Amino acid sequence: MTFMRRHGPWLLVLLVAVLAFPPQWYPHEMRLTLTRWFGADDYRPLPASKPGATLQSEEKCPPDPSGWRDAQTVDGVAIRAAKTCTADNPYMVAAAVRGTNNVSSDTLMQSGLTPDAIVKGRDLDGDGDPDEIHIRLEVVELNGASPIERGKVTRYPIAPGIEPGLWVFAPKLVGMAVENLESNEARYALRLPSPAIRVEQGDTVRITLENTHYMPHTLHLHGADHSFVDVTGEGNDGVPIVSEMPVMPGSARTYELTPRHAGTMFYHCHVQPHVHVQMGLQGLFVIEENRPDNRVQTLNVGAGQVRVPSRAVAGEFTQEYDLHYVDLDKQLGERIQRSNDPRLVTRSMHRDYNVTNATADYFTLNGRSFPYTFRESLVVADEGETVRLRVVNGGSKGIALHTHGHKFTVIDRDGVPLPDAMRSPQDVVWLATSQRVDLSLSMVNDGRRSYGPGIWLFHDHQNAGVTTDGIGPGGNVSAIVYGEYLDESGWPKTQGVSLDPYFTAEYYRREVPVWESYAPGLFGDPGSDWRLLVRLLVVALCAGALGAMLFAGLRRRYPR
Amino acid sequence: MTARSLAFCLLLAAPFAAVAQHEHHDHAMHMDQGGVVMNANTDRLPRGCEQISDDLEFTIFAGSAYAGERPGVIFGMSEHEVRVPPCSRLTIHFVNEDAVRHQWMVHGLPRYLYPAGMFHIEAMGGQRQSGTFIVPPEDRTYLIHCDMAQHMEKGMRGQLIVGGGSGTLWGVTGISDAFYRSSYLPSTAAALVAALAVIAFAVTMGWKAWRLRRAGPGY
Repeated sequence: MTFMRRHGPWLLVLLVAVLAFPPQWYPHEMRLTLTRWFGADDYRPLPASKPGATLQSEEKCPPDPSGWRDAQTVDGVAIRAAKTCTADNPYMVAAAVRGTNNVSSDTLMQSGLTPDAIVKGRDLDGDGDPDEIHIRLEVVELNGASPIERGKVTRYPIAPGIEPGLWVFAPKLVGMAVENLESNEARYALRLPSPAIRVEQGDTVRITLENTHYMPHTLHLHGADHSFVDVTGEGNDGVPIVSEMPVMPGSARTYELTPRHAGTMFYHCHVQPHVHVQMGLQGLFVIEENRPDNRVQTLNVGAGQVRVPSRAVAGEFTQEYDLHYVDLDKQLGERIQRSNDPRLVTRSMHRDYNVTNATADYFTLNGRSFPYTFRESLVVADEGETVRLRVVNGGSKGIALHTHGHKFTVIDRDGVPLPDAMRSPQDVVWLATSQRVDLSLSMVNDGRRSYGPGIWLFHDHQNAGVTTDGIGPGGNVSAIVYGEYLDESGWPKTQGVSLDPYFTAEYYRREVPVWESYAPGLFGDPGSDWRLLVRLLVVALCAGALGAMLFAGLRRRYPR
Repeated sequence: MTARSLAFCLLLAAPFAAVAQHEHHDHAMHMDQGGVVMNANTDRLPRGCEQISDDLEFTIFAGSAYAGERPGVIFGMSEHEVRVPPCSRLTIHFVNEDAVRHQWMVHGLPRYLYPAGMFHIEAMGGQRQSGTFIVPPEDRTYLIHCDMAQHMEKGMRGQLIVGGGSGTLWGVTGISDAFYRSSYLPSTAAALVAALAVIAFAVTMGWKAWRLRRAGPGY
């Protein structure tokens, strides 16, 4: 009786704990022995798949009520059709070709540019096109912080629900930076990447950097022929540690160049470049060959199809595209979103952030990741065409650019033509950081250059590059689409899985099972094993009670 | 500073000044080389106004110089608050002393008079633009800001108070606090808070022990 009084409670608790302990966790040998005695357990169904959430997909291909996609002539500029779903503003294109000083006031208004955004002057060599070009660029922060708003301001999504903090050079626009105060969406032309700049070989080019941002910046013309100092002796290389003071907020500076060679070059900010270039302050700088009556499209907003190709390109190729690859570090972009005080942002970005520990999380082509790349960065062509692709890798990692269904030829590297002996068809080309290649991509169906019509992906073949923060499909995936595979709205007639789930923020937040749309339940999220959890909770209760009893017993045995 | 940035800007504009002379007019917008005035209104009375109560002129200077000595502010205006009587006619002379664009934009005006509820002056770097509009009869506070990316956030946020106004807006530079204030805790804050909690615990325990001892074994 005394024994039971003394030891009964803890023995009872121990017994409950042993009974509650999950049998599947018994020691292996014990389980084999039990199996010999009692045989296998009865069938117990695995937890059922959880029903998939109802997703509200964004519209894949928004309509084009203004007819921006159509081939049209604006102010005498013949603008080619853009067959993709979303297209550049043709008035912007026309103003970029003629200059904002040479278009009608209506075109200027509809372009959104200021009268001095792209000023084209005299024809210096008498060949029928202007050779004095003055471009003004501003600096715009996208997805930044606000002391008033809860969300981000001047919003620019690179993919559904993904709005990393970005800095870009932007064309000089009149008016607000956002569509309206309520949505806070960035206006057309305020986007990643910074616009591709296009001039003619031998042009007298002036680029004024009007620093509208709250940090110092400069402009460095990477690979483009420019002097170290301008005629007045002022620095012209954009490098604060050797050539000049940076351009402070609210100030402006003009860079000058008269490039002697044609080629695909690059421009970027050179203030704290390990941070500023990665934030998006970089763009293509294309120097087209000098030809008579050669009015080039000075700015190509968001890169992509050049709707008014130069004479030299149009003579040799059926189309021209600017492809600008950038990878982004999520943890860097977030730093401008945490605080509004420029001093705190500066410390966070330039001292707390350690680029040597950085990872690339987002992979963009022309400022967007899949599926948005399918809206605006498709290469659309017909059989027999030969297209020139000007490619830059502005990211911090190299890219292994691969085309499905085609072997292209690298014709220029870093703005210099390759000799014939170095040109051979290939389907992967490596681009180091800041490297440019010009590719000749042919749609001649000969089993090598092209395998025939279809929707052929092109993308960085490194695994991370086809994901968005590790979720695929995403990243810089885009496609070469033959005309017959594109519908009226500009959307590719894909034959595979539904693309709807990829047009939801939930998918890229890792909330949607990857094959849910076509195998609902089969590979879905399983429900939880509540029975096992209850057993574990009972064990936990017993363990706690036993511990308390042990403690009380010890105190009785060893009183103070 | 002012003269220098003005001269700098003129220098930039000089080579092409002759070729570019754009002017655009329609009922809502005036644009020239110096900037833009949108939705100017010199004579149409807002509903509820019998007549123009007063004719007022303000000269507002803008630019990085007007951030003043305020820490953490990059851009600013000479006046971040403008007070006017109801139904008054305001002429704003907006003088941009930076070498980049700035705006003076009012939101929330009646849309039957001002498309999108907006009156907007924009001056190119080193330029001066003037515009006139008439305020409604109600006591109300309107947002004034520069809508270039991050300019409002970094200082160019003001308020237009008509009559008695309808309160003060958050985050008006030099007038009201930020709604979301950044954290300025020293880096040692967490350690200090934890240390203080530990000290408080130790002192309380010690005090209780001392009281017990003083009460003696009979307690």
